Amino acid sequence: MKKYILEVKNISKSFGNVKALEDVNFYLQKGKIHGLLGENGAGKSSLMNILSGIYQPEKGSIFINDIKQKSLDPESASELGIGMVHQEFRLIESFSIKDNLTLSKANIYKDNFKEAYEKYCEIFSLSVSPEKLIAQLSVGEKQKIEIMKLIFKNSNIMLLDEPTAVLTPQETDQLRISLERLSEEDEKTIVLISHKLKEIRDFTEKVFVMKNGKMVAEDLSTVNVTDDNLVELMMGRIQKSIIDKSNKTGDTKLSVESIEYIDKVSNYKILEDINLEIKAGEILGIAGVSGNGQVELANIISGIESDYSGKIIINNKDVSQKGVKSRKKLNLSYIPENRLGVGLAPGVSVLDNSIVRDYFKTRLGPHLSRSKTETYLESLIKKFSIKAPNSKAEISTLSGGNMQKLLMGRELVSNPEVIIASQPTRGLDVNAVEAIHTLLVDQRDMGSAILLISEDLDELFKLSNRLHVMYEGKIVKSLDIDTADINNVGLAMAGVIE
Amino acid sequence: MIDIQLIGLLNATLQAATLLFIAALGELITEKSGILNLGVEGMISVGAVTGFMTAINTENIFFAVLVGVLSSSVFASIHALVTVVLKQDQTVSGLILTILGLALSSLLGKNYVGRKLVTKLESVTSITEPSNIIEVLISQNIIFYVAIVLMIGTSFLLKRTMFGRRLEAVGEDSKSSDSMGLKVAKTQFIATCVGGAFAGLSGVYLTLSYVPYWTDNMTSGRGWIALALVIFGGWKPYRTALGAILFGFLEALVPRLQTYGFELSPYIVKITPYVITILVLVILTIYKGGKTGAPKNIGVPFFRENR
Amino acid sequence: MNNLKLFKRQTVNELSTFYSFLIGFIIAIIIGSIILLIQDKNPIDTFSLMLRLSVGSIKSLSSSLNKAIPLILAGLGISIINSVKLWNIGAEGQIFLGAIAVNFIYINTQFNSPSFHILVLLLAGFVGGSVCILIPAITKVVFGVNEIITTLLTNYIVFGVTIYLINGPWKDPKSLNFPAAAYVGEEVFLPTIFGKLSFGFLICILFTFLAHYLKNKSVFGFEMRIAGGSAMTAVYAGINAKQKAFIAMLIGGGFAGLAGAIELLSQTHRVSTGISQGFGYTAIIVAAITGMRPFGIFLVGSLFGALSIGGSVIQTIGVSTYIADIIQASTLFGALIIQFFFNYQIKRVDDD
Ligand SMILES: Nc1ncnc2c1ncn2[C@@H]1O[C@H](COP(=O)(O)OP(=O)(O)O)[C@@H](O)[C@H]1O
Ligand SMILES: [Mg+2]
Repeated sequence: MKKYILEVKNISKSFGNVKALEDVNFYLQKGKIHGLLGENGAGKSSLMNILSGIYQPEKGSIFINDIKQKSLDPESASELGIGMVHQEFRLIESFSIKDNLTLSKANIYKDNFKEAYEKYCEIFSLSVSPEKLIAQLSVGEKQKIEIMKLIFKNSNIMLLDEPTAVLTPQETDQLRISLERLSEEDEKTIVLISHKLKEIRDFTEKVFVMKNGKMVAEDLSTVNVTDDNLVELMMGRIQKSIIDKSNKTGDTKLSVESIEYIDKVSNYKILEDINLEIKAGEILGIAGVSGNGQVELANIISGIESDYSGKIIINNKDVSQKGVKSRKKLNLSYIPENRLGVGLAPGVSVLDNSIVRDYFKTRLGPHLSRSKTETYLESLIKKFSIKAPNSKAEISTLSGGNMQKLLMGRELVSNPEVIIASQPTRGLDVNAVEAIHTLLVDQRDMGSAILLISEDLDELFKLSNRLHVMYEGKIVKSLDIDTADINNVGLAMAGVIE
Repeated sequence: MIDIQLIGLLNATLQAATLLFIAALGELITEKSGILNLGVEGMISVGAVTGFMTAINTENIFFAVLVGVLSSSVFASIHALVTVVLKQDQTVSGLILTILGLALSSLLGKNYVGRKLVTKLESVTSITEPSNIIEVLISQNIIFYVAIVLMIGTSFLLKRTMFGRRLEAVGEDSKSSDSMGLKVAKTQFIATCVGGAFAGLSGVYLTLSYVPYWTDNMTSGRGWIALALVIFGGWKPYRTALGAILFGFLEALVPRLQTYGFELSPYIVKITPYVITILVLVILTIYKGGKTGAPKNIGVPFFRENR
Repeated sequence: MNNLKLFKRQTVNELSTFYSFLIGFIIAIIIGSIILLIQDKNPIDTFSLMLRLSVGSIKSLSSSLNKAIPLILAGLGISIINSVKLWNIGAEGQIFLGAIAVNFIYINTQFNSPSFHILVLLLAGFVGGSVCILIPAITKVVFGVNEIITTLLTNYIVFGVTIYLINGPWKDPKSLNFPAAAYVGEEVFLPTIFGKLSFGFLICILFTFLAHYLKNKSVFGFEMRIAGGSAMTAVYAGINAKQKAFIAMLIGGGFAGLAGAIELLSQTHRVSTGISQGFGYTAIIVAAITGMRPFGIFLVGSLFGALSIGGSVIQTIGVSTYIADIIQASTLFGALIIQFFFNYQIKRVDDD
């Protein structure tokens, strides 16, 4: 009998200067659920993308059923039975569920689609018509269709890249049961990527750990390894600092009163009766699964969205009717969730992006002084230790961490009194996360009032003084950090309020 | 009994519409795959001149059509090479395709200006002076019926066949399609060449029947109107045909206005189709409020390893 | 063969546009040669004749540079509009409307100082170009109508209006078999600098710097770049992207309109269909090939001006003038092909 259904030896892949994978080994046993653990940026997705034929490795070899594969592309990988659920949805939004499930040439349920669809709907406890468009599905439903796609093209090796990131705890539980059934009943070989230890524990038999593009632990038995062990493997020896919450707070800097916001297109109430208040020297955390109105709330406070009802008061001034620029002048900074696209303009240089916040303060009539802006950028680079090739380089040549540092630096350098930070560490590596946390805490100690919107509970617990939980556009729970725990916050995030 | 003038108008409408529609339908197929080809004007022109030259030299009409269609298709493959294989900017490439196509066809057609055709594309029946609507409809040029077949075929292909669904999938979301194992580059390459072939057919119709002669720049903006028609039709074959008939009607009506008692300078008359195209585009955009129905990935070069 | 793979380069050589242009130009010359060979013409003889007749003497050099003026100005206009990632395919029409505006003002006004009169007429040309792009600009900014198609269609409209004017209200009875408007008076002719080189060339140099300043050194240029880079970032930064796009379009149209004014005041001296011979289209190539860089546009515009002159003089030996157009378009296609190799890398993959 063959030992491994899939085996990868010495794979390397780089993007410019970034070594995404370095001499990585990886192997899977048939019919088992494997965990792949690692911080953001460790290289997990890159490895999976190589297996599914999306990325080309620069070096290394891949064996499937002991046969060496010369080169993989998505089609040949499918034929070999490899299927991947990507970190972002790969569904055609304007097409029906049926189309999405059957477009692939590898589709095995050409003639008996209906029966197959019904069967797997049962396994995934899904009840929607196959004629429904993807765009009309909930996030959880989309994720189920993604996995079903693999079954329809008969993938025996299922690579699932952070499928639970968009799911509620309840949906995650359901997924676990479905995957167990698939591995037992259909002998599917499954890889589950996550950086949540609990999930790795609950779902998997074997676990691999990646860090900085290298495989630091191979084929551990999940039952034999401790959480501490895994954390150390995953994060190295970086000590996560404990943050002192006993700092002094001052006057109220930001208050938001009964905000209500209705989406014009769908006529759907996105925000309802939102009230909050933040004092100088305080971090207020907003917990919640994304898509529950956080983006809209941040946009309303920063002045981007103006069509709402309610009141925004910054520094005792009612700015409800004011635009972005005047709020900035009252010293409000906004670090948007969408780093590249909102906070930073793609296709534009590092230099231009560095002055987006304050250019109108330094302008000389129509003239934009090159030397002044260059000096400004240099000071940002020094102060926030940003690595950038040169000032003319296009912004997206920077790594995620450096982009975020530039964005944060730009927004924080003028010592703002109110900061809205939305998902500030999403997708960054451990060191960058630490650096950004330090920036926020330093800013807090200098007397800024900070609204921290995040999905990452560890981050929220670490940094916040108080927590609000948002669910379906409402603040459903408010807690002091001392009384908050993963349980009561997690349940509230899923809409369970006792 | 129907007014003889009305019959003439109807006839002219259908002829003008056929010309616009075939080119628009080709562009629709190309755009459905996610490739924008602004070179329609140039492609029509290349098809028009090569078809005309072949017809003069061989006096074989079928062969002339074939050459016109194929040469436009080959010409379109430049755009496919540059944008699909080499992933360069589609707007730039398409514009240059127009410029190059017009220059190339003028160069090729230099010695053919003013030459008379011996054989033309003929109508299918021998009715030369139709007297009612039925007779108009059955006495059209063969290309008219080809256009109808193409319209039905394209619509069927896009909606009902796996091939068509895949083509549309690629244009909607090339990344997802690629990860499903669909051949993005191949699909787009083929769709671009098919678009070229359609433009070529429209071109040979122009020189072998519609005006039967060759002069420089005789496409006179029809390629651009065809591009507008795709938007007008919301990327749907039947609606595009409707648009083509509307525009064909205008093209046919305007020179006849005088006979209906309107006093208009012939020079002003000539610009009305362009004015109306802009007007229609504006009205349509307002009416649809931004939801144009355009394929989502149009204009975006695809490279598998891009994030 | 099987293990040659395509990789994207993370950093692109800064001079890649320049090299691509250079190699693209060589490719285009080769294509031109092949076409000449097919036509039984000796390419070396033909090209050296073109060279001699376009830059070989002060006289020919100055007509080449005169030809470059509209290419450069319209190209600069296109590049300004492209800062907000919009396309102006309507430069041809803007050139015509610029000239029409000049003639309109000339007919309807009276000035004592000739130099002031010229200044007013140049300004009229600029405004004419802006007016020409006004409808596309409004429909783009307010309703989101595709500007590529609307700017292009205005070319046909303005051309139709031109034909109407020179055959109708403005028809010069003295011009018998070539319809045209009456000549403007000599007092408003643009002076020449040396040889036949028009004063317009100095205006062109000035506007090249102006465009460079606007695009690269001004606050407005910065705002255009952000607006063009991401509409969301513009909103986030408090930049009114639509307003920037609107202004950019009016300025860009104005540049082309100015080209029409200069063409009238220094070359044709009257409104006719000869005001532009496709300059507005060639300008698109000029702008695109330089990656929208003003100084690049100045240089390539000058080169293409010479090429056009060369192309029109070789008609005398029976070579089609379209050879110049084909070389220009092929240069850009060649450059696009070469640019690929700067953006991507084909590497052999070891599978040991
Ligand atoms: N398509 C890509 N282009 C450029 N860099 C990439 C690309 N994909 C991944 N990377 C880089 O490779 C590294 C590993 O990323 P990834 O595999 O996505 O990590 P993970 O999935 O573990 O979070 C990161 O530094 C990331 O920025
Ligand atoms: Mg990942």
